[in-house]
Amino acid sequence: MMEADKGHIDVRNMGVVYGSNASRVVAVKDVDLNVKPGEFVSLIGPSGCGKSTILNIVAGFAQPTSGEATLDGKKITRPSSERGVVFQQYSLFPWLSVRKNVEFGLKMAGVDPHKRSVTARTLLDLAGLASFENHYPDQLSGGMKQRIGIVRALAASPQVLLMDEPFGALDTQTRVVMQEILTNIWQQFRISVLFITHDIEESIFLSDRIYVMTARPGRIKAEIKVPLPRPRSAEMTDAPEFIRLVHELKGLIREESLAAMGPEIKDRGLTGFGMKIGPEGVSNIF
Amino acid sequence: MGTMANAKVAAIPISGGGLDPKLVETIMASAPQTSAPEAPADKTASDAAKPGGSIEPASPEPETVATLSLRDVARALRDAVRGLLKQVTRERITALVLACISVGAMFVVWYLGTKYRIEFYIRFKNVPTPSEVMQQAVQVGLSTKFLINIGYSIRRILLGFAIAIVIGVPLGLMIGRYRRVGDFFMPVVEILRPIPAIAWVPMSIMLWPNNEASIVFITFIGAFFPILLNTIHGVHSLDGVLIRAGRCLGASEFRLLWNVILPGSLPHIFTGLAVGMGVAWVSLIAAEMISGQFGVGYFTWEAYSLVNYPAIVLGMITIGVLGLVCSGIIRVVGKLMMPWLAFAPGSKK
Repeated sequence: MMEADKGHIDVRNMGVVYGSNASRVVAVKDVDLNVKPGEFVSLIGPSGCGKSTILNIVAGFAQPTSGEATLDGKKITRPSSERGVVFQQYSLFPWLSVRKNVEFGLKMAGVDPHKRSVTARTLLDLAGLASFENHYPDQLSGGMKQRIGIVRALAASPQVLLMDEPFGALDTQTRVVMQEILTNIWQQFRISVLFITHDIEESIFLSDRIYVMTARPGRIKAEIKVPLPRPRSAEMTDAPEFIRLVHELKGLIREESLAAMGPEIKDRGLTGFGMKIGPEGVSNIF
Repeated sequence: MGTMANAKVAAIPISGGGLDPKLVETIMASAPQTSAPEAPADKTASDAAKPGGSIEPASPEPETVATLSLRDVARALRDAVRGLLKQVTRERITALVLACISVGAMFVVWYLGTKYRIEFYIRFKNVPTPSEVMQQAVQVGLSTKFLINIGYSIRRILLGFAIAIVIGVPLGLMIGRYRRVGDFFMPVVEILRPIPAIAWVPMSIMLWPNNEASIVFITFIGAFFPILLNTIHGVHSLDGVLIRAGRCLGASEFRLLWNVILPGSLPHIFTGLAVGMGVAWVSLIAAEMISGQFGVGYFTWEAYSLVNYPAIVLGMITIGVLGLVCSGIIRVVGKLMMPWLAFAPGSKK
C-alpha cells in the first residue's frame, strides 16, 4: 500500500519574474497550491498563464523568484527521480528501444539488468505496448510515444508524477483514449499527480481537484473539487455533474482567455468583432 | 467528450484496492491478465502494425466482413510492397548504369588523350596511358615495397585518426556542455583552426623527435578540428527536453554525458568522423610527400622524382581507393552503431 504521507507537493507564495527593469515580466504571482498524497490535481488556465512555469519549478528545472515549492516538506532545488515528469513534447530517447527507454530510470538507480527488463516488460504490458518493446520510438505513433513516456516516468518509482500537457500534441480521438488509459494506470498506482492542461473536459475527467489560473501574471483564480466517483469511466462524461462542471469551468476560463488576448479583445467581448465582408472583400478595411 | 469516448479501454483489474508503486512485482503477478487493446486512433507505423501482437483483443471475430476487409488490406499491402521493390530495383539499375557511364567516360578521355597525345593547353604528352599504368600495377602490385608503403600510410592514418577521436570527442562534449569550458578553449580553437594541416609541416618537423611522430601529428591535426567542431555542434543541437528527461529520471551529470548527450550527439559526431577522415588523408599525403620515408604519398612523389610516370598514376589511384575504403568503413560503422537512424524522420525521402 502507498505510504499515506508520501508525495505531498506544497507550493507557497510563489512568484516568478523574468528579466529585469524594462523587460521585466511577472509570469506567476502569489501562487499557493498543494497536491496531497495520492491525489490527482489539475492546473488549468489560458496559454501563457505560467502553468508550465509552475510545473518546471516543482520539477526542479527552474527556481522561483519568491516563495518556495516543497515535496514532503523538503525544498525542491533540482530535478530528482522522486519527481517523475511527462513532457508535452515527445521526450523518448530516439537511440534506445522502447524497453530500454522504460528501463532508463532503473538503470540510473543501479538496478540489475535482469530485474530492469522484467519491470519494464510488466509496465509496457500495462500500457498495452508489450509487443513493441524492441521498436525504436521513431517507429511509433504519437499516442504510443506518450504512453511510453508515462510508463518510463513511473518505472523510476517517483513519489509524484508531473505532467505538462502530455496529450497536447495528439489528435482529439487519441486524446480521449489516452485519458482513459491514464486514469486506469493511475487507479493502479494511486500516485500524486500534478497535471497541466488547457482542456476542460480532460481536467475534469482525470482530476480530484482543479486549480484555475488567471491570465498573466498567473495567479490561482479558483479551486474546484471534482466529486465524480472513482474509478472513472467514459460514460461519466455524460453525467449531469460532469456537464455542470464543464460549464462552470468554461465560464471561468473564458474570461481569462479573453484577458490573455489583450485588453482590446477583452473590452469588446468578441461580439464587437462581428465584421461583415462584402463583395469587395476585406481590402477596404485596411 | 465525443463519441470516441466510448471506444472501450479494457478496464485493468485492480487486485485488492491500490497497489504499491514500489512493488512492481505485485503488478507483475496481475500483469498477464492486464492488457489494453491498441487504441484505435493510434496511427501505427506500417511496420509497427505487424499482426500477432499480444495486444490484439482475445475475443475471436467470426464476422466474414471483417475477415474479407483484412484480406483486402493484406493484398493491397503486398501489391504496394511489390511495386516498391520493382521501383527500388529499377532505380538501382539506373544508378548503376549511370555510374558505369561516368567512370567509363573518365577512362575514355584518359585513353584518347594519351593515345593521340593531345596538347590543347593541358598536355597529355607525358601522361602515361591506362595500359602503362596497368602494367605498372601488375609489376609493382604485389611487391613488398609497395605493400610496405601502403602499410605505413594506413598505420599513420589510424594512429592520427584515433588520437583525434580520443581527444576531439570528449573535449567536444565538454565544450558543448559547459559554457566555461567553451569560453576557455574556443579562442585557441578558433585561432588554430584556419591553419591548414600542411602549413604545420615545418613546425611539426621541429616539434617532434622523429619523422614518424610528426607525420602522425599532421594527420591528427587534419582529423581533429572537423571531429571537435561537429561534436560541439552535436551537443548544441541536442533537444533540451532529452536532457531534462534524463535528469528527472535520476541521471547524474556523468551519467547524463555518457547515456544521453553522447548518444544524442552521435549522428553529428559521425559526420565529423567522415569529414575528418577525408581531411586526414589530404594531410597525410601532403606530409608524406614533403617529409616522408615510406607511405603512398612518398611513393607517388618518389615516382615523379624518378620520372616513373605510370607509378604516379598508380599512387594516385591507390590513395583514392584507400580513402574510399576508409570512408566506407566509417559509414558502415555508423550504420551499425546508430540503427535507430533508419527510422528517424526524414530518413526516407
